Amino acid sequence: MEILLQLILSGIALGMIYAVIAFGYQSTFATSGTLNFGQGEALMLGAMFGLSLAGDVMGGPYLNYWLMIPAVLIFGALQGAVVEAVGVRPAIKTKSEFGWIMSTIALGIIFRNVAENIWGKDDMPFPSPLPTSPLHIFGANVLPMELMVVVGAFLMMILVELFNRKTIYGKAVVATASDRDAAGLMGINTRMVITFSYALSSMSAAFAGVLIAPITLTGASMGAVLGLKAFAVAIIGGLNSGMGIIVGGVLLGIAETTTGFYISTGYKDVPGLVLLLFVLAIKPSGIFGKTAIKKV
Amino acid sequence: MLEVRNLKASYGQVQVLHDISLTVPKGKVVTLIGSNGAGKTTTMRAISGMIKPAAGQVELAGKNIAGLPSHKIAKLGLAHSPEGRKVFPTQSIMDNLLLGAFTRLSMGGGRPKGDISSDLDRALDLFPRLRERQHQLAGTLSGGEQQMLAMARALMLNPDVLLLDEPSLGLAPILVDEVFHIINRLKEQGMTMLLVEQFAAAALAIADYGYVMENGKIAVHGPAKDLQNDPKVVAAYLGGGH
Repeated sequence: MEILLQLILSGIALGMIYAVIAFGYQSTFATSGTLNFGQGEALMLGAMFGLSLAGDVMGGPYLNYWLMIPAVLIFGALQGAVVEAVGVRPAIKTKSEFGWIMSTIALGIIFRNVAENIWGKDDMPFPSPLPTSPLHIFGANVLPMELMVVVGAFLMMILVELFNRKTIYGKAVVATASDRDAAGLMGINTRMVITFSYALSSMSAAFAGVLIAPITLTGASMGAVLGLKAFAVAIIGGLNSGMGIIVGGVLLGIAETTTGFYISTGYKDVPGLVLLLFVLAIKPSGIFGKTAIKKV
Repeated sequence: MLEVRNLKASYGQVQVLHDISLTVPKGKVVTLIGSNGAGKTTTMRAISGMIKPAAGQVELAGKNIAGLPSHKIAKLGLAHSPEGRKVFPTQSIMDNLLLGAFTRLSMGGGRPKGDISSDLDRALDLFPRLRERQHQLAGTLSGGEQQMLAMARALMLNPDVLLLDEPSLGLAPILVDEVFHIINRLKEQGMTMLLVEQFAAAALAIADYGYVMENGKIAVHGPAKDLQNDPKVVAAYLGGGH
């Protein structure tokens, strides 16, 4: 029983990471109808950049973990803005319907190659800012960093939600997401909003990177699988549902940890993908996804 | 205030506007009437930057705005209540109104801030139905209420020129009367307006000047009173007796 509880708690922490990355997919999809398929690489770059600041790989540490986070957030935002400017905007401008798919995948591969050349191909440990000895919660062992993941993920989503609801700029982002033409008539520069949503998307991925890095390892290839699974979470939960990605992420996280323990770690990726196929067959808009209703 | 000269626009290879020229003097109401597909909405969209005109000039207070993106045109003081209302359905009525004032509320928005709360009050006085529902999501409003919201939202820009595209489209008769009553009040307040309407008779009754469009061209134009008595216009557009 303690083991099951522990698997569930670890699954939740993992699931919240998926949710944060999936949140990034949602943010660009809402405003532009496009996705950054290099989202996993944005996570990896964030973690690598964070490691270079807070670890000793580049002659550091220069900053402690907590001061490193704002720097990583800025780095992530800039990286996302670059992806949008180089990979997405030209495709939107030429009305190329699928150009952005190839260009964001291509940019992701380039980022991974660059990272391999800067930091090497080996995985590296990321210094944990919290004690590494587990806490005992109802008999289950939970790493303090796992709790930090859950708290950090919720905090980020709440802050973005507050921004969207309470500030005129956030309202402009929501307006752009629901009707780009009408948003333009309000005087909102919708192209800038799309750039912003890419910045926000990569920023959340970079944040997810430095949250998960102390639990796993940091390396140039860490992002690919996470990015793909978070994409599955976005599809399972619904590309337009905030609740959906949390539930979808946690479902997938728990499915993985329990399968890994009770069946075989070799099969731990299977249940999530089966769930994905299942959702696509039964409710393609996602468990919580809304099909857009337009009143005429 | 608004001067359109030889405006051309195309959708793909098909030219839909042929040398449209029209003038909206300050403080006047000008209406654009014509049958469905004549190009009225396209003209409005080309003026406000929702589509890029292929050629021609659009001057707003002496400045050429043709070809600018819509957000820049909004900053220069042109508000457009578009066909189909296009309210933001997932946001509250209050949020929709604040978004109408985006150019006044945002940094570098371009419009003087003025007194937002008194303008909100004025807009809600004009549309009392919206006041009762200001915290409701815009998507839950009826078609008529959404139309009023679209107009109120456009007013929140504090515009120099207001474009109203089919404000009565799809509304119940009692709401049509209310909408025209409101347009009349705006006229009394001195608002410069370009009005596209299916109810040609009502539009000409309110307007100072009218343009009749046919197949993407201006067919007839003149003072609204003259058009009301022009036998051709009466036969083609006023015969239905709305």
